[in-house]
Amino acid sequence: MTFLQLARRNTWRKPIRSLLLMVCVAVAFLIYGLTASFTSGTQSAVGASDDILGVMNAAGRAQPLPMAHMARIASAPGIASVAYMSRLRGFVDNERNVVAVSAVDPGLLIAVNGSELGLTPELIAPLGKARDRVLVGRALAEAQGWSVGDHINVTAFQVAREDGSRDWRFEIAGIFAGESPSSDTYFMIARYDYINAARARDRDTADAFIVRPRRSVPSSELAARIDALFANSVAPTRTQSEKQFLEAFLRQYADVGLIVDLVVGAAFVTLLMIVINTMVFAVRERTFEFGVLKSLGFSRTSILSLVLTETLFIFVIGGGIGLALAKLATLFAPPTLGLVFSLSILVKAAAIMLALGLATGALPAVNAMRISITAALKTR
Amino acid sequence: MTDSTKDEAYIALKNVRKSYKIGIEPIPIFSGLDLTIPRSDFVAVMGPSGSGKSTLLNMLAGIDLPDAGELRIGGNRLDRMGETARSAWRAHNMGIVFQFYNLLPMLNAAENVELPLLLKPLSARERRVRVGKVLDLVGLSGREKQYPAMMSGGQQQRIGIARAIVADPELLLCDEPTGDLDRKSADEILDMLRFLNRELGKTVVMVTHDPQAALYARRTLHLDKGSFVEENRAA
Repeated sequence: MTFLQLARRNTWRKPIRSLLLMVCVAVAFLIYGLTASFTSGTQSAVGASDDILGVMNAAGRAQPLPMAHMARIASAPGIASVAYMSRLRGFVDNERNVVAVSAVDPGLLIAVNGSELGLTPELIAPLGKARDRVLVGRALAEAQGWSVGDHINVTAFQVAREDGSRDWRFEIAGIFAGESPSSDTYFMIARYDYINAARARDRDTADAFIVRPRRSVPSSELAARIDALFANSVAPTRTQSEKQFLEAFLRQYADVGLIVDLVVGAAFVTLLMIVINTMVFAVRERTFEFGVLKSLGFSRTSILSLVLTETLFIFVIGGGIGLALAKLATLFAPPTLGLVFSLSILVKAAAIMLALGLATGALPAVNAMRISITAALKTR
Repeated sequence: MTDSTKDEAYIALKNVRKSYKIGIEPIPIFSGLDLTIPRSDFVAVMGPSGSGKSTLLNMLAGIDLPDAGELRIGGNRLDRMGETARSAWRAHNMGIVFQFYNLLPMLNAAENVELPLLLKPLSARERRVRVGKVLDLVGLSGREKQYPAMMSGGQQQRIGIARAIVADPELLLCDEPTGDLDRKSADEILDMLRFLNRELGKTVVMVTHDPQAALYARRTLHLDKGSFVEENRAA
């Protein structure tokens, strides 16, 4: 028998109580695992790049920029590559099934952020064969049940064709998967020349220019330099990194991360109270035994460690089960939920587990440590 | 044990004072108690309830401290030690046998006996060997896996003794070790304590109400109102 085995035996002496505590802990960590995966996968800018810059109209995202800006941006020092992009938002089949289309020059896009999107020359090659061909992101394709060769019709909310119609027909030429599971792939990549030639308004403009700085050039400095270029033009720009843009975009609805943190925090505080209360009573029930252990020579520190080990045992088993269930859920959940259970979530959860285990064990452990042997032996 | 070591004052209490507060009134237990016990002695302490037997035993175990006076065991001043030092001293120098055995119900016989060894830097194999030896010594080989609830009172007390001696302490303190046993079991336990004293040289201090149990000791001290009033030596 080891010290750890002694703690384990103590934990299992009331199996139903310990199991219920572990279920509580497991549920709390399941909630944490799911919400953190949700935040990581859909609400955070974790997958967004801090290096790639987006140049947009300072007057607002809805205002286009003249294509002439492209050459001036490309000539600025410190720039590795530039691409242009126009957005088309619309729906497929019904208005609630919203999709986004990025109209680009695929050759330029692959140079700017092809690696982040998982684009390869082989993947974009079929786009060259017909102007209405598109690449669809993996998440969008899986959510819609689309596959290569399908024809789809996107009804745009704003971008109308010259004939007044807002219907845009596309043929799916390929599916891109993104660099990592947290990459945003819930959109389509179309050819700019197709959209630009057919649209009724804003021809030869771009909604944004996408810029990749050279390796040694700090993106923040480059952003300021680009904006300075157009400070006195008819279309001043606002340049942000992809990450900054995404964070600002998400924050305009609500600070979902904060809301999630508050919900999870409330769950953990409740859990803390339940476990502390149960452990305090468990220690009180065993006052006599702690007296026996102390009379055998167990020091205050060893008694403290014993109780802390017991609570940690409950948290590690319960928390481990909760996190395993959360991981399973992320594997089986539909991609539209965007759950990403990353290593950082696991590390953070392990730290929380350790901290909560120690915090909940502290009060009962100190109580057990302080028990007087003579008083304890009288409680039989 | 040699005769010279037998004559050493292994336990020495000098002018020990102890009182307990009940409400605001201090109730004196000892007002200047003196006691000397040589190494490898077997002493029975008898006396009526409230005479101070348990308080004396608690002080010898380092569980309780005198208010004043000197408490020395094996050259160590227990009255000057802090709680942590006294815990360590207990773990290495003393074994205790309780009236109601005080075994942990969720541990089997071998694990109960092994408990004091968790405080020593021993390998699992060394612990297993020691546990096997003492279980053999108390006649419970083959019952390692049995839980206390599956054992008779006499068997549980043998486990209690095995636990007390597994760390090989010099001092064995017994608090009414036969108080919960029938005569036959009690005699077996007392035979065992006598064996530990005579053959292994353990110093045994036993608090008891049972005059027959006291006959197993080398000498019997009678405690009344905090003072030793009589001493009988075994023939």
